[in-house]
Amino acid sequence: MSLHEPKPLDVGETPDGTVDHDELEALLGETVIGREEHVNAPAFVVRPDEVQNALFALRDEAGFDYLSCVTAQQYEDRYESIYHLKKYDDPTQEVGIVVPTPIDEPISQTGEPVYRTADWHEREAYDLIGINYDGHPDLRRILLPETWQGHPLANDYNPEKPQVVPFRKHANPLQPDTRGEGAKSDTMFLNFGPHHPATHGVLHVKAVLDGEQIAHVEPDIGYLHRCEEQMCQQGTYRHQIMPYPDRWDYVSAGILNEWAYARAAEDLADIEVPEYAQVIRTMSAELCRIASHMLALGTFALDVFGDFTAVFQYAFRDREVVQDILEELTGQRLMFNYLRLGGVAWDIPEPRAEFFEQVRDFLDGLPEKTKEYHNLITSNEIFQVRCVNTGELPPKVAKQYGATGPVARGSGIDLDLRRDDPYGYYEELDWDVITEDGCDNYSRVLVRMQEVEESAKIIEQCVELLEDWPEDEREIQSNVPRTLKPDADTEVYRGVEAAKGELGIYIRSDGTDKPARFKIRSPCFCNLHTLREMTEGEYIPDLIASLGSLDIVLGEVDR
Amino acid sequence: MIGMLKSMATTMKHALDGEKFTVQYPEETPDISPRFRGVHKFSQERCIWCRQCEKVCPNDTIQIVTDDKRNGEQYNLHIGQCIYCRLCEEVCPVDAILLTQNFEFTGDTKDELAYNKEQLKNVPWYKDIDPLAAREPDREAWVGEGEGEVDYQ
Amino acid sequence: MLQGAPLPERLVELLPFGSGPLGTAIAALVGAAIVGTLMMTMTAVAGPWAKRKVTAAFTDRYAVNRLGPFGLFIIVADAVRLLSKELIVPEGVDRPAWDLAPVVLAFSALLGFAVIPMGSGIHLADPEVGLVYVFAVASIASIGLVMAGYASNNKYSMLGGLRAVAQNLAYEIPLVLIAASVVLFAGSLQMSEIVAAQAEPLVDLGVVTIPTWYAFVNPFAFVLFIIANLMEIGRNPFDIPEAPTEIVAGYQTEYSSVYFVLIYLGEFLHIFLGGAIIATIFLGGPAGPGPESLGLLWFLVKIWAVYLFTQWARSALPRLRIDQLIEVGWKGMLILAFANLVLTAVIVGVIA
Repeated sequence: MSLHEPKPLDVGETPDGTVDHDELEALLGETVIGREEHVNAPAFVVRPDEVQNALFALRDEAGFDYLSCVTAQQYEDRYESIYHLKKYDDPTQEVGIVVPTPIDEPISQTGEPVYRTADWHEREAYDLIGINYDGHPDLRRILLPETWQGHPLANDYNPEKPQVVPFRKHANPLQPDTRGEGAKSDTMFLNFGPHHPATHGVLHVKAVLDGEQIAHVEPDIGYLHRCEEQMCQQGTYRHQIMPYPDRWDYVSAGILNEWAYARAAEDLADIEVPEYAQVIRTMSAELCRIASHMLALGTFALDVFGDFTAVFQYAFRDREVVQDILEELTGQRLMFNYLRLGGVAWDIPEPRAEFFEQVRDFLDGLPEKTKEYHNLITSNEIFQVRCVNTGELPPKVAKQYGATGPVARGSGIDLDLRRDDPYGYYEELDWDVITEDGCDNYSRVLVRMQEVEESAKIIEQCVELLEDWPEDEREIQSNVPRTLKPDADTEVYRGVEAAKGELGIYIRSDGTDKPARFKIRSPCFCNLHTLREMTEGEYIPDLIASLGSLDIVLGEVDR
Repeated sequence: MIGMLKSMATTMKHALDGEKFTVQYPEETPDISPRFRGVHKFSQERCIWCRQCEKVCPNDTIQIVTDDKRNGEQYNLHIGQCIYCRLCEEVCPVDAILLTQNFEFTGDTKDELAYNKEQLKNVPWYKDIDPLAAREPDREAWVGEGEGEVDYQ
Repeated sequence: MLQGAPLPERLVELLPFGSGPLGTAIAALVGAAIVGTLMMTMTAVAGPWAKRKVTAAFTDRYAVNRLGPFGLFIIVADAVRLLSKELIVPEGVDRPAWDLAPVVLAFSALLGFAVIPMGSGIHLADPEVGLVYVFAVASIASIGLVMAGYASNNKYSMLGGLRAVAQNLAYEIPLVLIAASVVLFAGSLQMSEIVAAQAEPLVDLGVVTIPTWYAFVNPFAFVLFIIANLMEIGRNPFDIPEAPTEIVAGYQTEYSSVYFVLIYLGEFLHIFLGGAIIATIFLGGPAGPGPESLGLLWFLVKIWAVYLFTQWARSALPRLRIDQLIEVGWKGMLILAFANLVLTAVIVGVIA
């Protein structure tokens, strides 16, 4: 008897790890009224009043425990919400649930009781598109102000209409003092942010305090909403979208974001990427991951140490080295705009040996620096008492909230799209997925620190490959038409493992050279949603530490 | 306790070794990659007024005015609005617009950052580096014809 | 007495006002002005300049180096900058308390220096209860913190004020208990007596004589006192009442301009007062090699060493959580302080 009892197959799962969609359709039975083919996976059209039944069946019987994203959009004749479902065990097993609702009565049953993460996704859909979710516990606007007129991504939205906010209504949005049971409540309402030293940007956390303890917290987002989805919908596939992903997660994770768009668009338009370009992509993306994790480490230390102290500066010093390398390669330090559909913009800079030496120097110095970080941070007893067993996020809860990336891996969830849903050159390389079972702030820090080492491994192998690459096979871009016009009504949802977790892109084409719907599934958005689970009942400093350990970038949360 | 002492020893080591990682900026100028994308430089002699840069620009930073015979009259570029993606340089078939390494520019108002073609022509090279040579290798990949329709001009 | 007569008494003889009440008062004022100016100068150097330089050294950076030699003139520039800013009085502040708090903070620290023997004859007063006096006035600062926190009409300030009180209660008792162990050795609360008691040689190695500084006699108490002192002056890892990343700036959130300067000044004065207490009761006060007139120099070296230590700790140690601090204070420090006291009492009893 083997130690690893093979997991019993879920309904609709074939022994070789793919999804039998006919079996799923049988499982869903009456709720299904049609079927669509998306590029990534088939999708079932479900009646708007049977959403929960369908989702419950898929979650409990077919094992789809991961609601990756909810995309809402408006067609000429209907609204549509698409639930992109995956499995934490094997994210290549995907299925979509398409819920059409009529234009005149856009009411759809909420999926929130099945997946907690649907809460925010559906609020966003309500906010931007205008679909009402029946039974949703808290259907308010999430990105736009509560007084906003109209739903900006709906077809009938009139951008010319003045947004009048009566002063009385918003005389002082931060005014109300007590929350909770009546006037006798001895809790205190406190606003963290939008301008607070530790919110990593313009995040507003509404906290109800019981003394120093957190009774309730609610993140209020949207202060940095820049209409990134709409901007992408107005850019051409071929050129104009690529500069923008850099600006979602703008703290040096640019190439990872670009890859998310590149992967989705390449699947959509069926573009091949030369192997050489894949290796360069892999290397540059991992450099970005190191830079991003260094920043996460530095700012987390900032939150816990409490001043612009040494750890922050050391982390930035090391990040600077990575940025210098990336500047040599891409020509920019943060807004790289380096990937192109079908490849990358530039080959390794000449003289190549010098560039590789620069990368090697960095990699060689890394173990010593890692040791220094461990001396400074993780082995420090005060740091340990601050971080161990605070901000706990059990794996079950994390899955409910759709947490990904280091946050999920710090909760012991073994999910990494680089390995589980391979792209680029990762499959050919030798590296490990890091997980920690602590589920606390400390585990998340450890995961990031070890991932830096794994990334270094990947980069080292890529450099070796690139050095020996025959000169006449260095093709950096495949032949891609100057104007891309994917077939009308092709839909794709693809995710990559960005620095913060799964960055997913949904694109629907309408036959023109610009996407008809461009939806960004931001990992920070979902990870931030877990904040409440992590912090309630803990102390104010734990709230700050947990927020720091989530490593959110508001540019990506609000998009 | 040992961990805390180790932390303190680490920072003390840094304090004593006297190494600095910051630079004293105006005196010590940073080394900048030849690929770095800074303020644009425009060459009217080269420009053929094909308007590809204007068309490819993701956020309408470039404004070109031509007369009715398609002779160029104005070439305006708002360097405060530009996102420095270098797409204009990539599509330009004659290297008429280039992104120099020059990152030092100021203006008291936004209007001052809207450069016309004279101002764009006078943008200085950074440390006299002409970035064109360093960027040549990738040009083939772009100027080479794709299979799709060519929808400009 | 080791240091001779206190400073004002000698000033009376130097000044042409006679030894009547007027002359004594003027001499006392002049003496206080000398000490006050000296400590303010230390603070001015430490606050805008030394802190930046030291932090920069720990973080591998350059720091202020443009104005004057080593950037020292930044002190002037910063003073002008801070004082010329608008004094913003938020709506609904509790006026007299809000205005008084910065003054209380700064002066509670300054008052403490009155009984510190600084060497080279600078010693304003030498009451018999000097040690008690210095702890008493230093603790007035806590009232200032609560006043600032409560009167600011700001929840962050309020939290900071409450944290300050909680922290105050947790550290003050161990601090005094450890100091009491020194009193057991010295047999006096008078500062000059404590300093004098430390002058005797502990070990004579021929070339160097190690004096009976209580840091050498009882290193355990010394370490405990340094930790308790970090708590007292609210520096990392115990800067919980300010906690910049948690409660913005704690009790000082709403203060600007002159009031901010006073609070900032008060903080640094408190660091130096903490250093002065450590120097006096553990490091032999102004004692050091060389002639006795160099005493002030040695005293300054000692308080700067304590200051640099706070900055060192700041560079490397994370901040504790408030409940953890209370736990350390009541369950750890207090017990250790008692143990130290009992141990000292036994040792002193056996020797005597």
